[in-house]
Amino acid sequence: MNNHEQILNVEGLNVYYGTTHAVQNVSFDVKRGEIFGLLGPNGAGKTSTLSAIEGLLNYHSGSISVAGHNNKAKPLHAKAALGVQLQSTSFQPELTILEILQLYAGIYGLSLRKEELMGKLQDIKLADAANKKFGQLSGGQQQRVSLVIATIHTPQLVLLDEPTTGLDPQSRRQLWERIEGIREKGHGVLLTTHSMEEAQSVCDRIGIIDHGKVIEVNTPEALIEKHKDEPEVIRVSRKGRITLEDVFIALTGTEIRS
Amino acid sequence: MEINIPKSSTVFSALLRADFTTQWRNRRSAVLALLIPVIILISWKGIIVKYGGAFVLSSSIALGLVAIGLMGYTNSVARDRDKGIFQRLRVAPIPSWAIMISRLTVQLTMILIVTICVFITGYYVDGIHLSAVGYLLTVISALVGGAVYLSLGQMIVGLIKNPETVNSTTRLVYFVFIITGMIGGLGFLGDIAQKLARWSPYGTVQTMLAGSLQPDLWHNETTMALLVTLGYTLFFAFMGIKKFKWNTR
Ligand SMILES: Nc1ncnc2c1ncn2[C@@H]1O[C@H](COP(=O)(O)OP(=O)(O)OP(=O)(O)O)[C@@H](O)[C@H]1O
Ligand SMILES: [Mg+2]
Repeated sequence: MNNHEQILNVEGLNVYYGTTHAVQNVSFDVKRGEIFGLLGPNGAGKTSTLSAIEGLLNYHSGSISVAGHNNKAKPLHAKAALGVQLQSTSFQPELTILEILQLYAGIYGLSLRKEELMGKLQDIKLADAANKKFGQLSGGQQQRVSLVIATIHTPQLVLLDEPTTGLDPQSRRQLWERIEGIREKGHGVLLTTHSMEEAQSVCDRIGIIDHGKVIEVNTPEALIEKHKDEPEVIRVSRKGRITLEDVFIALTGTEIRS
Repeated sequence: MEINIPKSSTVFSALLRADFTTQWRNRRSAVLALLIPVIILISWKGIIVKYGGAFVLSSSIALGLVAIGLMGYTNSVARDRDKGIFQRLRVAPIPSWAIMISRLTVQLTMILIVTICVFITGYYVDGIHLSAVGYLLTVISALVGGAVYLSLGQMIVGLIKNPETVNSTTRLVYFVFIITGMIGGLGFLGDIAQKLARWSPYGTVQTMLAGSLQPDLWHNETTMALLVTLGYTLFFAFMGIKKFKWNTR
């Protein structure tokens, strides 16, 4: 594998919470110019995997490198190459949206003028909300703000944890366009989603994770092609055509997770 | 592709700007830390004759410092941690301690403001006039004393995660310090209680402040109080940093 092509490399990752082995020997990589979807049922270990990459938790073993920098040996280099949207984000409730943007521009090393920051808000149609507090925005608007912050420094790798949750169809469209724009620049995207339809249409490759283990990594088409004739897939399929969702459910089981 | 780590100056000015703005928006609760010492100064005017200006000034500054360290710093850290605000900051390419240094800078500024307000009130309301050296030393002592309560607060958020519990703990400790101040200074409960109170984290700061206000009267016990204060700070800070977790989950 050409290391230069990889923007993220995760190798043999193990995360424990006390005795819970939340991420078990997970390995995958994300290439430049690729949108990689991490799919799995609730509690599968997606957020835990992302947290380990973000440097928020001290993983037990394995190695993670972002843009060629090991995130334990060179945490600031790894973080500087990352743009992050957490599954649940909150910002200081006293600050306005504009002030929050200004804060994050600054801690990513940018000194943007007010007009430039307003331009960023205009892109997500929230210029009117510049002087509102984060808590005064609707859930979807908050999601848009945290997405703008995730990409404010045009990072080489963007991590998005369920970015489309709570977005209306218009914003969702816009988000996909932005994500595809990141890919066109040759940067990488690692995202999680529970929408198989989205994953199928947007992701270049998909990793399916369950009970902390990666069970498959492939393109959506290859995953469907590989499993489409299995009886379990055909049994769970509801439409005439086999979809990624059918494959996902067949692989991870029909049971709802605790 | 080259990766640039943000310049420390850009990072710090962004953090400081946000933290000062936050403090400004919360000025109503900050005013409390300011008002209590001033109210003490005004209402204790009568006992100045008996106990001296230095005692009254040092007591009110000490209580102001406790309020800043425990209410201002501690409760806001507990709240922001619980909301996940730190987690978002920590995924940025900044060292974690920078987040805390910025917050502490805001609190040290508050300490300066409270101290100056006490000086002004003392001067005009109580007619307490100090030498230039006295004022300067007191400002330094206030910063050293403030550090005890900031680190005590750090220890509280290090040991307790739930912001509600942190809140009630800081209130309780604040109350205990007020009582301690009365016992130590006014000696209600006899000699042993008074001695304990004098060497408590409240008492040592108050002694140190009183010594700074009148540098000619600085004696061995004042130096001991300064050393003990530094000892408390180191212990609280060590515990507070060692036990601190950035998230509550
Ligand atoms: N801080 C924590 N302490 C203890 N256990 C945790 C913690 N965070 C996560 N877990 C456990 O680790 C497992 C993986 O959780 P994780 O949040 O990574 O799942 P996920 O795939 O992101 O799920 P979801 O789709 O619901 O977001 C779960 O069993 C969860 O209960
Ligand atoms: Mg999750």
